[in-house]
Amino acid sequence: MALAGAAALVAMPAFTAASGVLNWGFLILLYTALAQSWNLLGGFGGQVNLGHAAFFGIGALATRILWLHGMAVFAALPAGTAAAAAAGLVIGAPGLRLRGPYFAVGTLAVAEILRITVGNILPEVSSLPAARLAAYAIAPRYYLALGLAACVTITARMLAHSRFGYGLAAMREDEEVAEAIGVSTFRYKLLAFIISSGFAGAAGGVFGYYHLSFYPQFAFNPVWTFDALLITFLGGVGTVWGPLAGAVVFLLLREVLALRLVELHLLIFGVLFILIVVALPGGFVEAWRSLPVMRRELVREASNSVADSVRRRRRSP
Amino acid sequence: MRRFATLIVAGLLLSTLAQGSAGAPASTVRVGAVIPLTGRFAGGGAQVKAGYEIAVEDINARGGVRVGDQRLPLELTILDDESDPTKTVSRLEALAGQGVVVFLGGFGSDLHAAAAAVAEKNKIPYCGVAFALHAIHQQGFKYLFSPFVKSPDIAIGIYRFLNASVPADQRPRRVAIFSERTDWGRELQRLWTTRSTEYGYQVVQSDEYTVGTRDFSDIILRAKAAGADAVFSVPTPPDGLALVRQMKELDFTPKVILMIRAADAVSWNQALGKDGDYVLLAPGWHHAFNFPGVAELNVKHQQRFGRPADVITGPSYACVQIVADAVERAGKLDPLAIRDAMAATNLQTVEGPVRFRPDGTGIVPFVLVQWQNGTQQLVWPKELGAVPFQYPARPWRER
Repeated sequence: MALAGAAALVAMPAFTAASGVLNWGFLILLYTALAQSWNLLGGFGGQVNLGHAAFFGIGALATRILWLHGMAVFAALPAGTAAAAAAGLVIGAPGLRLRGPYFAVGTLAVAEILRITVGNILPEVSSLPAARLAAYAIAPRYYLALGLAACVTITARMLAHSRFGYGLAAMREDEEVAEAIGVSTFRYKLLAFIISSGFAGAAGGVFGYYHLSFYPQFAFNPVWTFDALLITFLGGVGTVWGPLAGAVVFLLLREVLALRLVELHLLIFGVLFILIVVALPGGFVEAWRSLPVMRRELVREASNSVADSVRRRRRSP
Repeated sequence: MRRFATLIVAGLLLSTLAQGSAGAPASTVRVGAVIPLTGRFAGGGAQVKAGYEIAVEDINARGGVRVGDQRLPLELTILDDESDPTKTVSRLEALAGQGVVVFLGGFGSDLHAAAAAVAEKNKIPYCGVAFALHAIHQQGFKYLFSPFVKSPDIAIGIYRFLNASVPADQRPRRVAIFSERTDWGRELQRLWTTRSTEYGYQVVQSDEYTVGTRDFSDIILRAKAAGADAVFSVPTPPDGLALVRQMKELDFTPKVILMIRAADAVSWNQALGKDGDYVLLAPGWHHAFNFPGVAELNVKHQQRFGRPADVITGPSYACVQIVADAVERAGKLDPLAIRDAMAATNLQTVEGPVRFRPDGTGIVPFVLVQWQNGTQQLVWPKELGAVPFQYPARPWRER
């Protein structure tokens, strides 16, 4: 099934020329990559990073500036990724000394500082010049996002079944115990943080290559952190396929609602989101896994209620 | 069981989406607009939306648009981008996929910059107001049209106005610019500075500040020390209020205060009272205009919102007039033909006669409004029914 899905994704641009559809596809893949990059540290490692947007922004800014100054995107994107990973090292080394909520608030503060600083240094909108715009096509952006989403998902899958991944899982469950059984938790955390930031930077780089026009500050907006977080929680925290499932539902729901219910779309989106999270606390992946159990439960409930009504009918004359 | 009930509720909510499908009948002129109805630009977006909706109503009530030998109604689809340029792009792309022949713009320069690029890419003409940033027009876009006053016209407009309204020996020749650190703020700072000498003015001080600054005393005191007679700025409403309050505290009363954007709203007078008087603004449009259609627009707006049309509602209304006219002259529902017709626009609208320059900027009247005794009065241009300009501003402590 995964293979068929992958084949469909690869073939999508060949079947549809509508840029609206490919644009949706692009956004789903970009959000998958971003959410998965957050999931690497937040889901598998249990470290809630609320400053993810900073790395997305650094990647977007570095890639876009280099690309607009004439560098090929295949060189600019790795440079943006490296810049974000380096920032991950610089911020992570002191930041990861903090734990739990202190770490979360600390990363949020760092990201906000970066956002305001970038807004002050680069206050002018970054638009593609007309010549670039004339040559603009969505298909290469789509494939880049597809490649990145695949790359991050494969990394997550490898991580989940590696010694490093088990170490992270141990740390997530209980840091002291992990330390006691020989996991060097700080080193594990830092490495996961750098990988996570690097992938966020790559996602940012793809965004910088994709977007027609935005203020540099926009890529540092906390909305990138929180969308990634919501998608991960929707799909399943600490699972390999959660971010993809979450991104598909999140974006389809958001865009369809925005197109159909202009005035109320945010309200309905919020209510639906809450309902889904309440009904499926472990996310879609968890729900999928427990589907056989749920079916049995449903059948039992149904047969009980049938038996009830039969009993009641017998009692009444 | 509760879990299933919740899922059923979610499913029911989703099923509401199935209704009202967007199947487009070919017998209308399909126009798409992506406007910020929520988020940071929601207030401005509401003014834009009102202008579009009233204009479409009016045109359809008159039988719609003549295309070739048939009359077709305008069908306007409005979507919300939540003031987020990524959503502007994705929603405009979706509209392009549904076969709209013209885009109408939203509010705010970053959203416009993104939207204009989508229009250019899809080769669909785009008519947008509510951004004065000229840089968007300097990218060689062919499908972008904006019947709205732009920075170059604002920059020389104020100098021309002062020269025409104030005797030569009393002119406020020493200008201070309080420049917002945004692309629009910088653009006007540059233009005000480069165009000053040819009109006989000198920029004696020009400092940048960040949006949301709490303490402006530094730049105010420097302007005072430089002996500035005039202050030019484009602050956001909160920054504008803070600037005036702190200028009063520091006893700096320049003869002319120009605060574009901040002084536009009625809340200016409510917050500042007498201190808000004498301040000039350049809103781009005013409901006191005597162009054909303005009175009717004011009546409709009054019925709906309880006040005459807002400063952005007028230009938005004009956009729809321009689009309808261009479709009629194109004679077919072909975006390229409509684009060419739009470029050749020469139309009397609610914001006066409109023509376009090759870069898509509109040749529209430049207006200045002054707060006089708690009301906004048109002071420029004279031929549109302007009242006398109150000059110089009375010192704060004597009001």
